Amino acid sequence: MSLALIVMLPFIGALFPALLLRAGRNACATATFTFSLAAFILLIFQAPAVLQGETLHASWQWLPKLGLAVSFMLDGLGLLFAGLILGIGLLVIFYARFYLSKQDNMGSFYTYLLLFQGAMLGIVLSDNILLILVFWELTSLSSFLLIGYWKHLPAGRQGARMALTVTGAGGLSLIAGLMLLGHIVGSYDLSVMLQHRELIQSSPLYLPALLLILGGCFTKSAQFPFHFWLPHAMAAPTPVSAYLHSATMVKAGIFLLARLWPVLSGTPEWFYLVATTGLITMLVAAWIALFKDDLKGLLAFSTVSHLGLITLLLGLGSPMAAVAAVFHIINHATFKAALFMNAGIVDHETGTRDIKQLGGLWHLMPITATLAMVAAASMAGVPLLNGFLSKEMMLEQVAHTAWLDQPWLMAIIATLAALCSVAYSFRYIVHVFFGPQRHDYPDHPHDPPLGMWLPPAILVCLVILIGLFPQTFAGALVASSAKAVIGGALPEYHLAIWHGVTPALWMSVIALIGGLSLLAGYRKVRSAWEAGPHPDAKAMFQVWIKGLVQLAQVASHGLHNGSLQRYLAWMVGAAVVVGYGAFMNSSLSAGSRELLPAHPTAIAAWLLLILGCLLTVWLHHQRLLALIMVGVIGMVVCVGFVYLSAPDLALTQISVEVVTVILMLLALNVLPKTTPKESGFGRKGRDILLATSAGVGIATLVWAFLTRDFTTLSDYYLAESLPGGGGTNVVNVILVDFRGFDTYGEITVLGIAALLIFALLDGALHGGSAAKRLAQWLPDQARAADRHPLMLVVAARVMLPLALLVGVFIFLRGHNVPGGGFIAGLVVSVALIMQYMASGFGWAAQKIRLDYHAMIGSGVLLAGLTGIGSWLFGYPFLTSSVLHLDLPALGEIHIASAMFFDAGVFSVVVGATMLALSQLSQIGRRAEALPVNQAAMDCDPSHPLQKDPSWKP
Amino acid sequence: MHLIHELLISGLIVLGAIFALVGSYGMLKFPNLMTRLHAPTKATTLGVGGALVASMVYFLTLEGHVSIHEVLISLFLFLTAPITAHFIAKAYMHKHLKPKQLPKTQSGWSTYSASPAEQSHKHSQSSTSHQ
Repeated sequence: MSLALIVMLPFIGALFPALLLRAGRNACATATFTFSLAAFILLIFQAPAVLQGETLHASWQWLPKLGLAVSFMLDGLGLLFAGLILGIGLLVIFYARFYLSKQDNMGSFYTYLLLFQGAMLGIVLSDNILLILVFWELTSLSSFLLIGYWKHLPAGRQGARMALTVTGAGGLSLIAGLMLLGHIVGSYDLSVMLQHRELIQSSPLYLPALLLILGGCFTKSAQFPFHFWLPHAMAAPTPVSAYLHSATMVKAGIFLLARLWPVLSGTPEWFYLVATTGLITMLVAAWIALFKDDLKGLLAFSTVSHLGLITLLLGLGSPMAAVAAVFHIINHATFKAALFMNAGIVDHETGTRDIKQLGGLWHLMPITATLAMVAAASMAGVPLLNGFLSKEMMLEQVAHTAWLDQPWLMAIIATLAALCSVAYSFRYIVHVFFGPQRHDYPDHPHDPPLGMWLPPAILVCLVILIGLFPQTFAGALVASSAKAVIGGALPEYHLAIWHGVTPALWMSVIALIGGLSLLAGYRKVRSAWEAGPHPDAKAMFQVWIKGLVQLAQVASHGLHNGSLQRYLAWMVGAAVVVGYGAFMNSSLSAGSRELLPAHPTAIAAWLLLILGCLLTVWLHHQRLLALIMVGVIGMVVCVGFVYLSAPDLALTQISVEVVTVILMLLALNVLPKTTPKESGFGRKGRDILLATSAGVGIATLVWAFLTRDFTTLSDYYLAESLPGGGGTNVVNVILVDFRGFDTYGEITVLGIAALLIFALLDGALHGGSAAKRLAQWLPDQARAADRHPLMLVVAARVMLPLALLVGVFIFLRGHNVPGGGFIAGLVVSVALIMQYMASGFGWAAQKIRLDYHAMIGSGVLLAGLTGIGSWLFGYPFLTSSVLHLDLPALGEIHIASAMFFDAGVFSVVVGATMLALSQLSQIGRRAEALPVNQAAMDCDPSHPLQKDPSWKP
Repeated sequence: MHLIHELLISGLIVLGAIFALVGSYGMLKFPNLMTRLHAPTKATTLGVGGALVASMVYFLTLEGHVSIHEVLISLFLFLTAPITAHFIAKAYMHKHLKPKQLPKTQSGWSTYSASPAEQSHKHSQSSTSHQ
């Protein structure tokens, strides 16, 4: 339980910062800190057991059929990463309180930060690879929000977009890779998967899975050639960089490599792919870092280089290298987070991050300078600091590894990279803090308040303590996490400063001396570098993205460019092709069932239907006539339903038909009454061909179907309707019970569609080009002067109670005899529409006062709550139950829970129909510039009319 | 079921059918829209009415209870048919007739000139805007 709580605490906490913002910045930061601290303390409580070699598990089923379980696991590796995430997270939260300025919205910053923290914890503590994927995507999304936190800066937005694109694409690759892995093993549980090394490595899918997983890890951990997004993500506020880009998110890829190390490593493919990528990344990034003038740019490339180092160590595949990798993860997180915070301080106090404008800050900011020197020296690998220890271990490993039978190649490249690393680390110290004091700093530099230097100071203390007493301060953690990575016994090793005169020591000495002399001749090196080519990763990335966008546009415009005809042609065409393919591959012939004689009535209706269809096509240029023909077709279909004993469908059909035709007439009111002739011969030919082949196809299918005996699900529904659903009207029971979930989805869609109509037409009512066109619209037909004729108003008034009564009647009987919420909703809508047609929308709306938005919302809510209600009784969602009541006067009464569901359907249907109607009628009134009428009808018969003096009987 | 009931029901159905037939024939026979209007609005109302009464008698005699659905249906029919005729006639007038061709009335044709209520509304609007 506490494992799940560790992951959930940041997510729960994410609700608070934004809420507490009104209470002040301190309250906001304190809330964030408290939640992180609580998670950290929980983790500390678990630590002793884990350090002694235990693995803690906690698991709940989520979607068992997909293999997805909410299962968490805490072993050494998880403890290490969770400790980093929460420990450095606490420091960053503290630091950010003082770093962010008054203009920054602290609430959203801390919310994003906690979301990110929770997602990271989810990755490192999950025991199910599908769950890891969920959290993996969450880190991509929350880091997008964090990198783009300063929304007003274009660099921030672009950097965030780039990071999301690259890590998101990598995430897709990872999904595929882990799916393959799960397929090989037959389980998505990490603990199970880690037991099957031989099975995975002997599978033919090993290489594809490995490539896809590496695609995910390398993009996340910014490995060459995907490293380019990390420097651009430096547009983020410095606390974000310190957190995401040194200690946590970029290490997610490394984490996964370490997690899957027991099953994936040890093959030549693994060695050449992972170690080589790490080696190249380490060298290239270290070289580029040397020439970055932006402090954070320098640190970003140095991070890429160090991530390359860890990747290299994991890629070597030997247990000793894995120990070194784990140790370097700890060391890098401490000194790099300290350096990022340090760069933030320099930026904050001097107003610039450009090394060219800095120098001589040693006397102005002594504390900052001291911290920077220790941290950067550790990054350079100076003895007595923790960076030295793990770098020594790396060099030791590399010195004993041959690459393509070249024993020295790796050692040379690693030494070169270490040399560059020394040079840029000392450049950070020398070019920023030493040299002559300047007089042109953009701001007045001085040491920051305690709140900003304390967090890096704590990290620097760790750097020194681990450097001096590695076994005491990091030994247990390294041992337990390395054990988790290796998945077996630990190799013989001891963390110590002095290992004797080894090749690694000589390589370190060469790197140190070479790096310092490189820095001494920096000007010459720099000018030589500037003469060479500099590929701009951002420009290349943008060219790629542009190309992809163009490709997507070509594809999507070819399929649907907004023309309904094209859209329909593709849909119908595809259906015809697929259907034809299926037809050709099967021995489909007419069945042997005996044909029934056709009744003359049926034939007459059938002919009428065909006539209606033909006339619709024939008359489609005259829209009113075409609409009437569509109405005729609807009526024939309705008669068909009656003839085939489907009264429910007939009722639905007729009410839908009425409402549709009325709404379309209203829409047609402000549209041209004729369709221009614009399709040529070719287009017509295409459409005729498509329509005919689709029609013939459907007819053939129906013929083949109806001439056979077949059993359908109907028998089950007929048998189960009363015992299972508590109603004798099978159609209604199917709608509200058997397929209640479908209906729930459908009413939601209906509500969304109505809101969409509202939103679309609302634009035309309130400004914009549509509103202008509407204002210029002239009626194209004669208008009757009597808008609200007395006769219609009176008739509609008489009808209203009757129609409402019919609606209630149909609703109440629905569960047992034809009717139901949907039909009742339409009938009531028609009754209300009658009032609007008679007395005008404005007048009627004043009298009726229904909030249609609220009707839609409450309808969906009611239906949903009815469904959830069955959970309370331990049944699945939307199980209906019948309550039998014996009331004194009324006798026995059955109340089915489905009735509440049906009431929700009813409410949504009425709301959706009326919302569309109200918007359309407002459009009509606006188009004709008519006022809202004050009276219900044109002539009030209770008042005598003015007499026309010229009238003679 | 007695023969007399059967005869009554059959008679009513046939009567209704005759009215329906006459109405349909009138639709074909009459020369223009205004005259044609009489056929469906009057004759078919009676035609459907005959069938409804037959249905009521059937339920009363065979099933032994009074069915009021038919009453409701005829009520709806009697309400809707005149309104439909009224609107078709008005549409015809606007399409084919000019106000001059129409007989004079006490206070004009409401469908050609705005109602007194609306005129006074417009008037008050324009007067307030002048102020």
